[in-house]
Amino acid sequence: MMQDAMIDEWYPVGLFSQLDVKGRKTALMGEPIEVALDAERRARVTCGDGRTLPVCVRYGHVWSSLGKPQKDLFAIPEADQPGRRLVDVGAIRVRCSPLRAVENFLDIAHFPFVHTDILGAEPHTEVQDYKVEIRQKEDEVWATQVKFYQPKAAKSASGGITTEYMYRVPAPTCSVLYKTCPPRPGEWDVITLFVQPLAEDLCDVWPWMALFDDVTPMTDLIHFQQTIFLQDRSILENQIPRLLPLDPGMEIPTRADLTSVAYRRWLKRHNYTYGAQLVAQ
Amino acid sequence: MRLSHGFVRGEALSCIYHGWSYARSGNCLRIPAHPGLTPPETIRVGTHAVEESDGVIWVAVGVPTAQPPRLEGVVPLRSLTAHTGVAAVEAAAGAKAGAVGLVWQAQDAQQIRLLLAPQGDEQTLIHVLLDHNSSLSQRIGASRAVERLRRAAEDLQTKGIAP
Repeated sequence: MMQDAMIDEWYPVGLFSQLDVKGRKTALMGEPIEVALDAERRARVTCGDGRTLPVCVRYGHVWSSLGKPQKDLFAIPEADQPGRRLVDVGAIRVRCSPLRAVENFLDIAHFPFVHTDILGAEPHTEVQDYKVEIRQKEDEVWATQVKFYQPKAAKSASGGITTEYMYRVPAPTCSVLYKTCPPRPGEWDVITLFVQPLAEDLCDVWPWMALFDDVTPMTDLIHFQQTIFLQDRSILENQIPRLLPLDPGMEIPTRADLTSVAYRRWLKRHNYTYGAQLVAQ
Repeated sequence: MRLSHGFVRGEALSCIYHGWSYARSGNCLRIPAHPGLTPPETIRVGTHAVEESDGVIWVAVGVPTAQPPRLEGVVPLRSLTAHTGVAAVEAAAGAKAGAVGLVWQAQDAQQIRLLLAPQGDEQTLIHVLLDHNSSLSQRIGASRAVERLRRAAEDLQTKGIAP
């Protein structure tokens, strides 16, 4: 498994704001690690075998890698835009493949059935055609012009609206969602999904947000995201097979699944297979 | 995602994830993400013969050769999943399952009937039935006793004692 190209990627391993010198014991791709503040109040990540691992602090989180990252962590320019509230949601542990957690985040067709009366509601179930591409220069999966009717698109939404989405997959276990911003038309709210792979079938999901919302209390913003992700957890922990199939098999994708199809193809092309199932069953 | 997590509306069974609904014969009736699309005949799920008897729904894996066994004098209490195989549940109960389930003599002397359905991936679905005359406190006691049995069975599996 250690030949997997995912070994050299950056992964979230904790919230910087919650670190202390005592440290936090966690895991990364099956290896026990410890995340702590050093004497200079810098984040330090150590592996169970005593190695000091690479570290960067960005988007509220501490990031690390068991291998040698070849490039800097992906950019989210909106994170530095003045006027945004930055929301550290915290971790949600899910007994599923880290890749399945990302794929579910990219899916909108489940909104009316899993996030009923929040992110979707019958009879507004149609997924209109949208655009999907793998951007060669950035080496990222992008889905644009995704539109969906939502009864309560955000904590700040007062009624149902047709929301527009854009999705980015800049790293194998991370996705950035740009979403219609109810109080500020013309701008995009940013909601991310940073997934820490603990094992091939276990992960900590760290959602993070950069929103234009000066009104909603921080606790309510966090509760809204926790509600959504707990609904997703009941799905993710019951998916079969547990690992994400990268080869065509029993499933029947439709036009609504084009983002997922591109994501799986991109994973396979890069040999990003930690949490994937390669032989069709 | 198993369809057993889904919901029945009218005569159709729908998946909880994306709402695809299926008719009694297994063919897909509707894909909500594409309401204008008539699902092709090739999209279908396997179907099984079912029979309701004495408050229990029985499903046949192949072609059934007989009616389900009768379970007279007992009522269903609850179902729960043990993360272990049937053998570990039998070992923890100290009894083997027969055609009409496993008769377990719990510590508080009440007799509990367990129907064990293997789920394939080292999980066992345990359906609990009790004497139809049992009192409320006996039912609560039986529910807790079976939870203890589940933990004992899972411990046996962890320690590698049970096969």
